[in-house]
Amino acid sequence: MPISFKSLSYIYNKGMPYAHKALDDINLDIKEGVITAIIGETGSGKSTLVEHLNALLLPDEGSLEILDYNIVAGQKQKFLKPLRKDVGLVFQFSEYQLFEETVLKDVAFGPLNFGVFPDEALKMAAEALKLVNIDESYFDVSPLELSGGQKRRVAIAGIIACDPKIIVLDEPTAGLDPHGSKEIIDLFISLNKRLHKTIIIVSHDNEMVYNYCDETVVLSHGKIRYHGSTFELFSNKELLKEYNLLEPQIVTFRNLLQDNGFKLSDEARTLDSITEEIGRQLK
Amino acid sequence: MNNLVFGKYIPIDSPMHRLDPRAKLIGLFLMIAAVFVPKSWWVFLVIAILLTIALASAKIGIRMIVQSFKPMLMMMLFLLIINSLTVKTGEPLFAIGTFTIYHDAIFNTLFVIVRLLLMISITTLLTATTNPLDLTLGIEWLLKPLEVIHFPSHEVAMMVSIALRFIPTIIEETIRIMNAQKSRGVDFENGKLSQKIAAILSLIVPLFSVAFERAYELADAMEARGYVPGAKRTRYHVLKFKFTDYLFIFICGLVLAFSIASRSFL
Repeated sequence: MPISFKSLSYIYNKGMPYAHKALDDINLDIKEGVITAIIGETGSGKSTLVEHLNALLLPDEGSLEILDYNIVAGQKQKFLKPLRKDVGLVFQFSEYQLFEETVLKDVAFGPLNFGVFPDEALKMAAEALKLVNIDESYFDVSPLELSGGQKRRVAIAGIIACDPKIIVLDEPTAGLDPHGSKEIIDLFISLNKRLHKTIIIVSHDNEMVYNYCDETVVLSHGKIRYHGSTFELFSNKELLKEYNLLEPQIVTFRNLLQDNGFKLSDEARTLDSITEEIGRQLK
Repeated sequence: MNNLVFGKYIPIDSPMHRLDPRAKLIGLFLMIAAVFVPKSWWVFLVIAILLTIALASAKIGIRMIVQSFKPMLMMMLFLLIINSLTVKTGEPLFAIGTFTIYHDAIFNTLFVIVRLLLMISITTLLTATTNPLDLTLGIEWLLKPLEVIHFPSHEVAMMVSIALRFIPTIIEETIRIMNAQKSRGVDFENGKLSQKIAAILSLIVPLFSVAFERAYELADAMEARGYVPGAKRTRYHVLKFKFTDYLFIFICGLVLAFSIASRSFL
C-alpha cells in the first residue's frame, strides 16, 4: 500500500475552549495506481486529511505511512522535502500560487526547489506544460495574464514538473466552466493511465467522481463511512440515502432502463458502455 | 500564526460576551486608568481579583492569559536590565562583581511589570469577548462627538471593520499559499538568505494579487448594494444599553475611584 492511515486523529486549536477534532481515528489504505475520490460535506475533514499527505499537518494521534515514509504522532519529521517531492499536492484554487515573471519559470520553480539543475528544470517544466496542453507561445507570458482555466493548468503543471509518484488534487474543477473542467479531468486520467500515477481527488462533484474515479472514500464528521468501489457505492440506493448523496444522472438513467426491461451487466456503467450493450441487444 | 493569542476573539457565549461593546470599551478605559494611577500593591491585588472573576466568567483559561504575556517577555527583561543599570536608590540588595543592584531597581521594575500584565489581561478580556465588528460599532459610537469638527467617524469605523473583517481571510489565504509553495519544495524556515528571499517572494506576490482582487470585488459588491461614502445610513444592528451594562461601567468607575483615592490614604 503506498498510503496507509493508522488510527490517525487530528485536532484543530488543541487545548483551546473551541478545540475541534477534524479527523477521528482514521484507518485507510489507498491503492497504488488507482484514482481514488474523497467525498463528504463541507467541514467533514477532506482537506485536513489531504494536508496530512504532504506533512503540512502532522497527526496528533496515530500514524501515517506514505511510500517509504512513516509519520508518527509526536515525532519530529526529517524527510519533509523528499516526501513533498514524491507527493504532489494541488490545492483548491491553485491558480493563486503563481508568482514568477513567466509561465515557464513558474513551473520550473518546484523542480528547482527540489535541487534539480536550472537547465534540467526548464526542460521538465516545458514537458509538464506540454502535458497540460499549454502552447509554447505562452511560455514567456506572465502567468497573471492567463485565463482562469489556463492558470489552473499551469499550476497543475507546476506540480507535475516535480515528477511526483502520487498526485493529490483538492477540488480541481471548482469554479471552472464545463470545458475547463473536462480538460482537467482528461489530464488526470492520462496521468493515471499513461504515467501510472496514483491519483487522489477531493471533490463535491458526484457526476465526475462516478464517471472517472475507481474507488471512493466517504468522510463525515472526521470519520470514514465508506471506502470501496465507486460503482458499488453509487448504484446502491440505500448507501446513497445513508450518506446523503445525490444519485448520478447516469445511474438514474441505468435504473430506468433496467426497470423498463433492458438487461444491463455491471460493466455497463458509463453512457458509452450502456449504449454499446443496448446496441448489441437490439441487433 | 494560529498561536497569536493577543487580540483574538473567542466565539463562545458568556456573561462578558453578552455585555454591550460600548460598555466594555468604557470599562476598559476606566480599568486601564485605574491600573496606572495607584502607588500601592493593595490596589493591584483588588484589580487582579476582580479581573480573575471577570476572566473566569468569560471562560478564558489561565493558559491563554499566560500565552498572551509571551510577546512582552523580551520587553520585561529589557526593562529589568535598564532599571538595574540606572536606578541607584533604596537599599543595596546584592552585588554581581563590582556592580550593586539596589532594592528600588527590582521593586520599580516589578511594579511596572505588574501594571503591564494587568493591562494586557484587561485588553485580552475585551478582545476575547467582543466580536471585532461589535468592537468597531462601539468605537464608532465613542468617536461620534468628534463629528462636530468634521471627523469622518463612520468612514473610519467602516475602514477599521473592513480591515478587521479581512484579517482572518488574509491569514487563511496566507496559510493556503504557504502550504501550496511548501508542496513545491519551498522551505520558509531554513536556507541561505537568497533562498529565504525567494521563499518570501513566492508568498508576497500571490498574496498581493489576491488582496487586490478581493478589494475590487468588495468595492463592487458595496456599490452594487448602494453604499455611498458619507451618506446617512441606518443600522440593522442597534446597540442598546441594558442594566448589566450600566452595572459593569459603575463597577469599573468604582475601581478607578478607589484607585485614585488610594493615593491619599494607602
